[in-house]
Amino acid sequence: MAKLRIENLYKRYDLKGKKKKNAKLNDFAVNNLSLDCEEGEFVALLGPSGCGKTTTLRMIAGLEDITDGGIYIGDELVNNLHPKDRHIGLAFEDYALYPPLKVYENIAFNMRAKGAKNDEVHRRVMEIAPLLKVEDLLDKMPVKLSGGQKQRVNIARAIVRNPKLLLMDEPLSHLDGKMRQELRTEIKRLHNKIKCTSVYVTHDQLEAMSLADRIAIMDLGVLQQFGTPLEIYDDPVNEFVAAFIGEPPMNILKTTIAKIESEFYFTFEDSELRILVPNRYYDLLSDGMVVKMGVRPMDVIIGKEDSKGEPVKVAVFENLGDERRIGVHVGDKLFMLITSEEVRYKQGQSIKLEVRAEKTHLFDIETGLRIRN
Amino acid sequence: MSTSKKRLGSIVRHGLLGIWAIFALFPLIWMLIMTFKSEADVMTTTFIFTPTLDNYRQVLLQSDYLRFFTDSVITSVGAVLISVLLGVPAAYALARYKFKYKEGLAFQILSFRFAPELLVVLPLFMIYQRMGLHDTYLGLIWVYQLISMPLIIWVVRGYFEDISVEIEHAAQVDGYNWWQVFMKTLVPLIKPGLVSSALLAFIFVWNSFTFPLMLSGFNVSPVTVAAMRFLASHTVQYGQMAVAATISALPAVVFALLIQKHLVRGLSFGAVKG
Amino acid sequence: MASIELSGVTKRFGKVTALDNISLEIKDKEFFVLFGPAGAGKTTILNIIAGIHMPESGVVKINGEIVNQVEPQNRDVAMVFENYALYPHLKVYDNIASPLRSPRHKKDEAYIKEAVERVAALLKIDQFLDRLPVQLSNGQRQRVALGRALVRYPNVYLMDEPLAHLDAKLRNVMRGELKMIQSNFNTTAIYVTHDFMEAMSLSDRIAVINEGSIVQVGASDEIYYLPCNEFVAQLMGDPEINLLDCEIDVSGNVYSAKFTEIDAVIELPHDADVYATLKDYGAVKLRMGLRPQNIEFSFDPADGFIQGQVYSFETIGNKSVLTVTVGGKKEVRLIAPNGLPVKLDQNIYIKPDLMQSLYFHADSSEFICRYNEAAIRALAAEKAGEE
Repeated sequence: MAKLRIENLYKRYDLKGKKKKNAKLNDFAVNNLSLDCEEGEFVALLGPSGCGKTTTLRMIAGLEDITDGGIYIGDELVNNLHPKDRHIGLAFEDYALYPPLKVYENIAFNMRAKGAKNDEVHRRVMEIAPLLKVEDLLDKMPVKLSGGQKQRVNIARAIVRNPKLLLMDEPLSHLDGKMRQELRTEIKRLHNKIKCTSVYVTHDQLEAMSLADRIAIMDLGVLQQFGTPLEIYDDPVNEFVAAFIGEPPMNILKTTIAKIESEFYFTFEDSELRILVPNRYYDLLSDGMVVKMGVRPMDVIIGKEDSKGEPVKVAVFENLGDERRIGVHVGDKLFMLITSEEVRYKQGQSIKLEVRAEKTHLFDIETGLRIRN
Repeated sequence: MSTSKKRLGSIVRHGLLGIWAIFALFPLIWMLIMTFKSEADVMTTTFIFTPTLDNYRQVLLQSDYLRFFTDSVITSVGAVLISVLLGVPAAYALARYKFKYKEGLAFQILSFRFAPELLVVLPLFMIYQRMGLHDTYLGLIWVYQLISMPLIIWVVRGYFEDISVEIEHAAQVDGYNWWQVFMKTLVPLIKPGLVSSALLAFIFVWNSFTFPLMLSGFNVSPVTVAAMRFLASHTVQYGQMAVAATISALPAVVFALLIQKHLVRGLSFGAVKG
Repeated sequence: MASIELSGVTKRFGKVTALDNISLEIKDKEFFVLFGPAGAGKTTILNIIAGIHMPESGVVKINGEIVNQVEPQNRDVAMVFENYALYPHLKVYDNIASPLRSPRHKKDEAYIKEAVERVAALLKIDQFLDRLPVQLSNGQRQRVALGRALVRYPNVYLMDEPLAHLDAKLRNVMRGELKMIQSNFNTTAIYVTHDFMEAMSLSDRIAVINEGSIVQVGASDEIYYLPCNEFVAQLMGDPEINLLDCEIDVSGNVYSAKFTEIDAVIELPHDADVYATLKDYGAVKLRMGLRPQNIEFSFDPADGFIQGQVYSFETIGNKSVLTVTVGGKKEVRLIAPNGLPVKLDQNIYIKPDLMQSLYFHADSSEFICRYNEAAIRALAAEKAGEE
């Protein structure tokens, strides 16, 4: 167990031929990344494909050269250490179990490679196996295992040597629905037991939200936000983070602020809809200002008859049992509302909308950054 | 450093390929050269000689070679045509329907290709003699099925299996009857496989030697066997034999070039799953 | 436009009985959903209506006419297949135009052009008309498959899991869009799905199918709020409904539920109907169904709350599922907001909203009663009355 510190990390690939001439700043796969992971913390690196999350993980593991910057495990700078000397456990997407070895020997392999004694190996394997519920599989060959079981063995193998750092790269991406959810829970519970500092790469926001103590969201090699799931979900720093997290996604719409009788309203191009702006933003706004407003479907409320603002026609109403979803057209976009209230609407019916003040965000139209007060 | 290394690698690669190409093509080139040599030059010269078209004149005008060529065309085309007409429905049945011993039957069809032709040709010869099929077009076309049918059935079956049965259902629901579904939807989808396997089958049949050697005579005689005649006379007419061989190889070469294009298309055909 | 009727339909594949004596009546212009787990026989029902399969026994009627012996091309149905079944060698335009070029539904090219462009615009695939199916994404292929059906005005649209192969995000969007264009259908539609959200959202009525038999038929509200047994209750809802074994204690005028697995007793709110039904029911053993969103939680002990420990916390989109172990073993799922700062195995206190509870027979799993039953029946009836 150890802290992980990443300081001003850069990774630039050696581009060849034509590409080299056009090299720009964003050719950095990882661009000035700094992260501090506490001892025992579970950190998720989250982002779309090509955002640099896997490159970062591979640099931590020592599988990839570092262009610039420093990686510290504990307080030791590991930039120039061979992967095997970094005391890390790896569980990667493609479960590369050794096919000719039984599960037991697969788990024991790394210990044996280090010259551990038989009884010590046995003690450790028997300790780890129940944690991942593979104790009944120890005598089986890898080919006999299901995808989920293979991944359990893979993780067991990664933690058998008590690594300082456990690195996981999309370990669940091969698994389907139920199995995936089940193993997700197991990983979380495992971490709760062994408290090993963990870095987990994923493109699945639900996985990151469910597993991580803190999430680092990356895009184009640049860290966007590093925070707890709650911060990421409720307090995004920019439009990218806001749009990336949440399903159905946050409503993010270009809006023109209109001042009517000393009150501000969100108005939208090609739409009748008019929504009252929460009071807390009044200092920041002026009549005719153009910004983007963002609000999650759960934080849109059905207005009452005497609510301020202008109504709009319901484009789609869905009763899903557990919840109801209402969509209205704003230009060619759909503005979504989700409610657990027992309401019933019909297509074409008029509806007024309100937004929860503390959950409504404004973004700069140019930079996408949050406008805060 | 890396670029010069690469260039060197490329030179070596091309050099090796060139050597291999010469090795592979040399007999053909030799044969082609031979067709232009006079009887005297055949044995004594290699590349320097006085070219002559005498051999061509002899073979094309003064022998029955063109008739043999026609025999080859009739039997080969006939064989492939029948294989297509019977093989495609058979392939469809093997791909779509469930019936007892299906896999056994499919393997049985393929196993026709296993036995050495020499093994079966003798009994066939006896049978053909009795049935009056010996030395007839029908007899040859019939026996050629052993070569062409399994190939077509196996390739086309694979194509049918790749087409999801829902596509047929979709077309039926769209308002086409079964025959229209087959012609409008299935045939275009199996076409690459059908064309390439039929061409390949044609080449195999065309080049077939053992069967016609025993089962044909003076009435029907494909070029492969006919070329032997130039051996059989009092002296070996190397030049004429080379001409006969060159002309008989021509369709195979042309079709092989055609097939190449179709095979590539046929193999990279991944649209069916769509 | 047509009504569809199946009566006593049985279908076997070899020794497997895919459909066992199914009877269904689907009204004209109804959007009817066949809902159930994989392998329940939903697709087989569609194929039998389309004429792709022949039932061993039973009668299929379209508009009152027996069509058992009618070939698919003569039944005037349009179908959307689960794997899309697009013609790979035809461009999108020609795929969509295919039904209108068939001998059975032949139209002139001018009409076809207009019709194809109409559905392409409706489904937002106008810019792909020149492409081949391989050049499209799954979502676009799905739209083309839908287009090939919508281009005609058949007796009935048959749709077999059209959204099953899309990822969760796209499925949400497409389901909404399907809902929006539903009014354009203007004819009967039968829609097969294993996704309860699709069933809830799109249906006028739902038939729940399991192992080749019909379990329940009704409007979505009816199926969701008044499931006829535990199986249906478990299918409708994500996360699944909690089922708790309990015994009813009667002391004087007060009924209490004693939870046998978690060692807790809760007084049941007074409701004449529920009390009467439970009394008639006699036996004390039953199972209480509680949907995850109907359980409150608190991290501090409070009156009427049962103590448990957090087992897991999973984000499922716009909300999270909190699984709580109560009484050491029983797992109870409940809904929590995203990003809730929660530690595994920490203490948590939960309280069910019994006004939303359902009661099932402990042995047969059949539905017994629930609170608010009359109001919910009225709601379901109102929906049915609209159609």
